[in-house]
Parts: sequence; structure tokens; C-alpha cells
Amino acid sequence: MNSEPRAVTACVIDDDRIFTFGITKLMEITGLFSPTMQFINGQEAINFLSNPENGDKLPDVIFVDINMPVMNGWEFTRSFEEIKPRLGKNIPVYMVSSSVDLNDIQRAKINPTLKDYIMKPINTTHLTNIFNSLNGDIEMVQYN
Amino acid sequence: MSFKNGTEFTEASLGHFTRLIDKISSGLWEYNAINKKTTWSNGFYTMLGYEVGELECTHTNFFENILYYADKNAFLKTNTENSTSPVSSEIRLLTKNGGYQWFKSIAYKSDSKDTSLYYGMLTNINADKLTRLNTERKNFIDTETGRIAKIGGWELDVTNRQVLLTTDVYRIFELEDGTPITLDEAISFFEPNHRSVVANAVEDAINLCKSFDIEVLFRTARNNVIWVRSKCVPIVDDFGHCILLRGIFQNIDAIKKRGLNMQSSINMLDDKNKRLQNFAYMVSHNLRSHAGNLAFMVDLYENDLTEDRDEIFGHIKTISGSLSATMSHLDEVVRIQSDIQMGLKDVKFVDMLTNSMRGLSANIQQSEAVIDADFSRCQQIAYIPAYLESIFHNMITNAIKYQHPKRKPVIVIKSFIENNKVFLTFQDNGLGIDLKRHGEDIFGMYKTFHQHKDAKGIGLFITRNQVEALGGSINVESTLNNGTKFTIMLVHFNNNL
Repeated sequence: MNSEPRAVTACVIDDDRIFTFGITKLMEITGLFSPTMQFINGQEAINFLSNPENGDKLPDVIFVDINMPVMNGWEFTRSFEEIKPRLGKNIPVYMVSSSVDLNDIQRAKINPTLKDYIMKPINTTHLTNIFNSLNGDIEMVQYN
Repeated sequence: MSFKNGTEFTEASLGHFTRLIDKISSGLWEYNAINKKTTWSNGFYTMLGYEVGELECTHTNFFENILYYADKNAFLKTNTENSTSPVSSEIRLLTKNGGYQWFKSIAYKSDSKDTSLYYGMLTNINADKLTRLNTERKNFIDTETGRIAKIGGWELDVTNRQVLLTTDVYRIFELEDGTPITLDEAISFFEPNHRSVVANAVEDAINLCKSFDIEVLFRTARNNVIWVRSKCVPIVDDFGHCILLRGIFQNIDAIKKRGLNMQSSINMLDDKNKRLQNFAYMVSHNLRSHAGNLAFMVDLYENDLTEDRDEIFGHIKTISGSLSATMSHLDEVVRIQSDIQMGLKDVKFVDMLTNSMRGLSANIQQSEAVIDADFSRCQQIAYIPAYLESIFHNMITNAIKYQHPKRKPVIVIKSFIENNKVFLTFQDNGLGIDLKRHGEDIFGMYKTFHQHKDAKGIGLFITRNQVEALGGSINVESTLNNGTKFTIMLVHFNNNL
């Protein structure tokens, strides 16, 4: 509580380039996030995250879409669960999608790897809340 | 009166007999056809419920007021027959308080030739007659019920394994009534794959005293295959051993087939419903993501005053284009249903291929794809031309789009007939797809699996909808890095005739 909340690095996994552009821009505007990393499908993200050379560049939060070619959001969640113990860092994952399918929403809500399901479009309030909860987590980790 | 020799009756005896007859609801009469003299015994009055003498004792009164008009002939018949073998008949007479009742009439003509004297006896048989009529009616109802409901009863004697069937069961077997039949013979009437069900049920009933109620396929003596229901209750002796199986046997063919049809309709509707729901989700998802992005960009455009505004506006234009594309995809899906009304035409496979290849000539040239088609086993089909062309177009586009980077695309197309079905297959040597991972999704809308700039996830969705709209089906086999084979069942002849 003594220091300024530090900016967090977000990782956005989505094949919709307009969305990725938008969320990056939004993060810039809020000024709460440092530059984001982007991947167009789950596989590319897993490749990056699981590479030990990137150990010092890991993001603080992940936003993942559901419908993507090659590796979709669900498959990413499963793969991420496997590599998670090796990362040495607790990275919360949010699922972000336009799907109104209750099955998708329910499945995301009960999945322990996923922090929450956010329906697109995402806005500044979402980002601020996530930022605050992240800083809470980080501080708690620091004090324990 | 003709009593045997050695038995003599006195005058007093006559009185005894009359008194006896009076007590058994019977009456005696005499009638002289010449002088019309009529005599009735006391019993005659009492059997009709009257006091003695209360009725006018005339032939006319009896004939016109007491005898039921429809039974006049029956009564006269007993009188006109010759005297040696009297005829009895059953007639209805009007009683004082009980309405018309049934009586038995016996009449004789006098033995002496010079007189026209008739005499006879009437006996009240109403209770007997009514019982008899009721029994007849009941029997009639019973047998009719069995015949109409196509249901009968059976019994199996456990000790000698003989089967007893009612007439109605023989009728269902289409066997002559009464043909002796053993248990094994009876079981052989069931269809082969249902025999063990019946045999096991019977054994369990005998050994474990378990009742059963099964619906199975049955082949009658005249080779008609029908659904039957057999229900059984074991009858046990004092020691708890099953000694007899008793049950019903019913032809439930019509109702069962209706049920099965209904079930398949329900499954089909269920399937359609699920797909429709899925479609709604897809559409909503797709429109939402465009709408969301648009709101997103407009918001940024308003808040951002930097040089990025041009880029943001560029994205807004892209979204506008995507929205139009999505709308045209929706139009295409909706058109599948309306195109059905265009009707079937005989189309040659080779013409459809030529048309599609003309439309795709740029793609084919650029990819140097080789198309190897063999339509010799089935050259043409009655189909909706637009669908068939679209199927060719989508399948070829798909094969070229997902070609293997290390080889030129080769597409093998074949048509053939098998089991009354017309098939069309497309086999490529492309990237292939992991079906364990993606399975049914590959025919879903906006489902893409490869990172390809042109992947839209609409082609296979449309193809499947067109094929299924005409009662066909589409299947896929694929090996990653080896290629993909689509097998399309276009027409099932039985469906179309």
C-alpha cells in the first residue's frame, strides 16, 4: 500500500485484429497497463509462454477469445493449465468473447483456470476493475 | 297320455297331474277349430300372472292380445305340423305385470280323424331364455373384442412344454386354429434377433418366476413381419415352483410403427432444433462481435485525438465490410430453404464440375491443382442444380484453400450408387484436419481451424445444409498432413419415390 500501483502487462489472444487493436488502444488510454503482447491464436501464445527464455517477459494477465483457428480458447485453457506450474508466476486468465451461448458462459464460470467471463465489447470499467484486483493480488503475494 | 303298460291311473290321477302342472308355471289348453270352443287350465291364467277366470278365454283374445305379433307364425307352426311329431317353439306372451315373457309351446292335433281338436302346453322359460341370450351376447362380445383388438391368450404347460393358444392368437400367427405347437416352434416364429429375448424371458419366467412384458418382431406363417406384445404371468404351485405360464399375445404392429415413426420424427426435429439454436448463437455471436468492435472503434475515435484517428476510421470501414459479408452469408443460408421450391432437375455431374471449374479457374491455375473426376458409375442425378454446383464449388475451394504447402493439390472426385443411394466423394491430398479435436465442428458456421487469410468458416456449413435439406448426409474422414475425404450421400431412392 505504500507504493504507487505499478502498470501491468496484458496478453491478448484473439484472431480478431480489430479487437486486439481496440483493447490495446483502450489500455493505453487508461494508462494502467504497459504495452500489451498479442497472439492470433492459442498455440502461438502457448509457444511463447512455455519457452523458458521468455521467463522474465511473462504477462501479468491474459485475455483469451473462444473462437480461434488452430487452437481455440478452450484448448488454450487446457494447455495453459498444464504449463502453469512451470511458469513460476500466477497469471489470471479472463475469457473474452461475443458468445451469448449459455453453455459457453457456464463452462467458463465453473472452469477453475479462468478468473471470469467477459462479454465483448470490453470497456474502461472492466479494465479498471481487473487492474485493481490484480494489484490487490500482487500486494498480497508480496506480503505473505 | 301314454304310460307304459302296467301303470293305470284313476280319474283322480288326472286331477293330481293338473295340480302339479299348475304349480310349475305351465298351462294347458284345448281348442276346437270347428266350434271355436277354447279351454284353459288354471295354470294358464297363473303363468300369465292373472287370477283364474280373469281373462276372456277365447282363441281370438289369445291370438290378438296375448301372443306377441311377431311370434304368431312360430306358434301356428307348432299347431299345423302333423300330430305324430309335435314341434316346440319359443314364443313371447304378454303377462299381467311382467310385460312380454318367453314361453315354450308344444301342440298336438287330436288323434281322432273326425275332430279338429288341438291341444298343447305352454311353459314359462323366461329366466332360462334371458340367461341364454346374455351368454350368447357375452360370447359374441368376447370373441369380437379379441378379434378387433388383435389380442388373445396363451398358456404354457411347464411340464411338457406344450403351448395352448386361443383362436385369436392363431389368427395373429396366421395358422389354422388348433394346430398343435410346442414352445420351441412358437419361439421360431419370432425374428432371429428377437428370439433370444423371448427365449430368455420364458426361461426366467419358468426358473425364477419372473413375469414379463415384451414388444418384439414376429414373422407370421404367411411371412408377414409384425410387432407383437407378449405379456406373461407365471402361475406357481404350493411349493413356489412355476407350473404354468399364462399370458396375452397382441398384434401391436400399427401402434408400434406409429410410435417408431413418431420417435424418428422427434429425433429429426430435435436435431433440426439444435442446429437452429446453434445457428442463432452463431449469428448472434458474429453480429455481436462486429457491433461490439464498431462501438469500440467509435468510442476510441471520439476519445483519441492523436494521429491514430485515421487508423481507427480504417477499422470502422473494415467492420462495415464485414457486416455486409455476414449479412450475405445469412442470405445464403436462408436461401437454402427457399431454393428447395425450385424443384429437382436431371443434372449431369460433369456439367456441374465444368461450371464450377470455370468459376474457379483463377484459383485452379494459381495453385496448379489437378482435378481427377470419374462419373462413369453414376452420370446424372435429379437434384437442385444450384445446390449441386455450390457443393462442387465449396468442395474444390476447400481442397485448394487447405492444400499442403509441400505438394500441388490433387482432387479426386467420384460418383457411384450403393444400396439405393447416390454418393459423391471428394478426396484431396491437403493439410488434413484432426477430427478427434474438431469432429463435428468442421461443419459448423464460422468455425475455422487453420490460420488462413481466407478462412471464413461458411463453406462447409452451407454445403451440409444444402445436402441435408434434400435428405442426404455428409461425412468426413481425414488424416493430418495426408488429406481429407468428404463422402456425400446425395439421394436415398426410397425417400424420393
